[in-house]
Amino acid sequence: MSSREPMWYCHECHAEMRPLMAPDPHCASCHGTFVEKIENPQDDPREFTGHGPLGDDAAPEFDQFLMGLHRLLAHPGPRSPAPRPSSPGIGGGIRFEMTRNRPGAGGGTFVLGGPNTLGRAPGERDGVPAPGSSMFTRRNSGDRDPENAIAGNLMMQYLISMLGQRPGTRGPGTGAGADPLGGLFGPMLGGAEEGRWGDYVFSQDALDQIMSQLMENSNAHRPVPASDEVVNKLPKEILEDGSPLLEKDCAVCKEQFKLGTEDPDEQIVVTLPCKHPFHEPCIMPWLKSSGTCPVCRYQLVPQPSQEHGGPGAPPAGGSSRPGSPSNGNNRPRSPGAGGNGGGGGLLSTLLGHFGSGSGHSRSGLNASTNNRQGESGHSRSGSNASASNRQGESEAHIPGSWSEPVD
Amino acid sequence: MAGIASRRLAKELKEIHTQGCPVGIQLLSADNFEEWHLSLEVMGDSQYQGEVFALKFRFEPQYPISAPAVQFMVTDKYKSPVHPHVYSNGHICASILGTEWSPVLSVIGVCVTLQSMLASCKKKERPPDNDRYVRHAPDNPKQTRFHYHDDTV
Repeated sequence: MSSREPMWYCHECHAEMRPLMAPDPHCASCHGTFVEKIENPQDDPREFTGHGPLGDDAAPEFDQFLMGLHRLLAHPGPRSPAPRPSSPGIGGGIRFEMTRNRPGAGGGTFVLGGPNTLGRAPGERDGVPAPGSSMFTRRNSGDRDPENAIAGNLMMQYLISMLGQRPGTRGPGTGAGADPLGGLFGPMLGGAEEGRWGDYVFSQDALDQIMSQLMENSNAHRPVPASDEVVNKLPKEILEDGSPLLEKDCAVCKEQFKLGTEDPDEQIVVTLPCKHPFHEPCIMPWLKSSGTCPVCRYQLVPQPSQEHGGPGAPPAGGSSRPGSPSNGNNRPRSPGAGGNGGGGGLLSTLLGHFGSGSGHSRSGLNASTNNRQGESGHSRSGSNASASNRQGESEAHIPGSWSEPVD
Repeated sequence: MAGIASRRLAKELKEIHTQGCPVGIQLLSADNFEEWHLSLEVMGDSQYQGEVFALKFRFEPQYPISAPAVQFMVTDKYKSPVHPHVYSNGHICASILGTEWSPVLSVIGVCVTLQSMLASCKKKERPPDNDRYVRHAPDNPKQTRFHYHDDTV
């Protein structure tokens, strides 16, 4: 090897050497693979030595900046939050730990992430750190309190904690100002769950989580059953001679009300507030799955409907309900507003989009059924009118979202 | 429980036999109260002129309290209509088959609704997530949980 050949620098043992080149360049003295050719005087790897073997504090100014930012956001004056609970295991994000035994330099453990590393920042645990104090600790000598170990590059920590920690939702006591920084980044990043960033996932758990969240959300429009209290208050009537009910049908079984049925329960007629009558055994199972009138969808209990947010839909006359396209947008779920602790930001935007997609497809069909019901027959004109609504819709929104199982 | 479903279905069947089906809809088979097949054709000017589809209805004992599982049949003879709300495996994205189901609806009622859904289609295309959905779709479109097996329909 020519002496003109530049030396290499080993970032692990700081040796200057000529590396062994096979199979990959590695340090001739420690066999580490973090080696760099010293070829550019402007970018001499040896200049990193002063700061430590891994160059953690390579950019202290930037760390300082981040630290200051975090402090600013974490302690916005009087609104200063209670100390964040930092029980390990709860706030556990991704933990990356690397332990090495280096000849000549002592053992070292390099930890990234881990339980609540941000929450454990000096600002929380030991009071606000003096400017200039180190935000990280390397346990080279092993004589430090492991509890105190804020290891790894601060920038890394920020990234990891943004990825690995759901902001402001962990544990009790994380009230209003729980993690403003997380709150700041959370919506932007899609409300990071453990091992998850938006809809990118890093683990099977996170994938499952996303899946179940998608499913939950897709089921968010499941009908709400009527409570026993509501059901018990419904007026019941026993059929008798001359009752005007005998002229009417039960819309569930499609049978006319009549006296002297085999099943004595079929003598009991329940009339909903919208005045639609049903056999008791016909309507009860339905109300237990959905607190609405099968005929006009009058809401006995508020439904998570895309049509009407509140209770008490206009009674009777099913066709009076507007099938207007804008209905699909009235759903309470808005991106980032999820009070269910689910991911905000991108994901819920995505979900919201999903939702509105299905909402639209729904409102269209829905309206058509309503029209049909309203006109008591298979009126084609009714269906078509609403169908044209749907047409306009499906151009602007993603169609084809599946209302039930969802993909 | 089964009594309710079969009584109601018997009534619907009787009505179909006595009053006939709306134009474009025909009963293919209704040998039991678990699964019926009907053919569906969009009448008049539409994207689906000349195409005949078949719908498969599967009923639970809780019908009509629970919605029937409805899908387009995909067989040698029948294809799934190309429609933004219909997946290539025949599954249909229609709220009336899910959360917006009402026991007032009937087999014929669903057919008519789907017929008008097709009739109003302006552009024949699959749902954007068709491939993904079909890959993981459960056999029964009513199933709310994911079942990661191939759809055999």
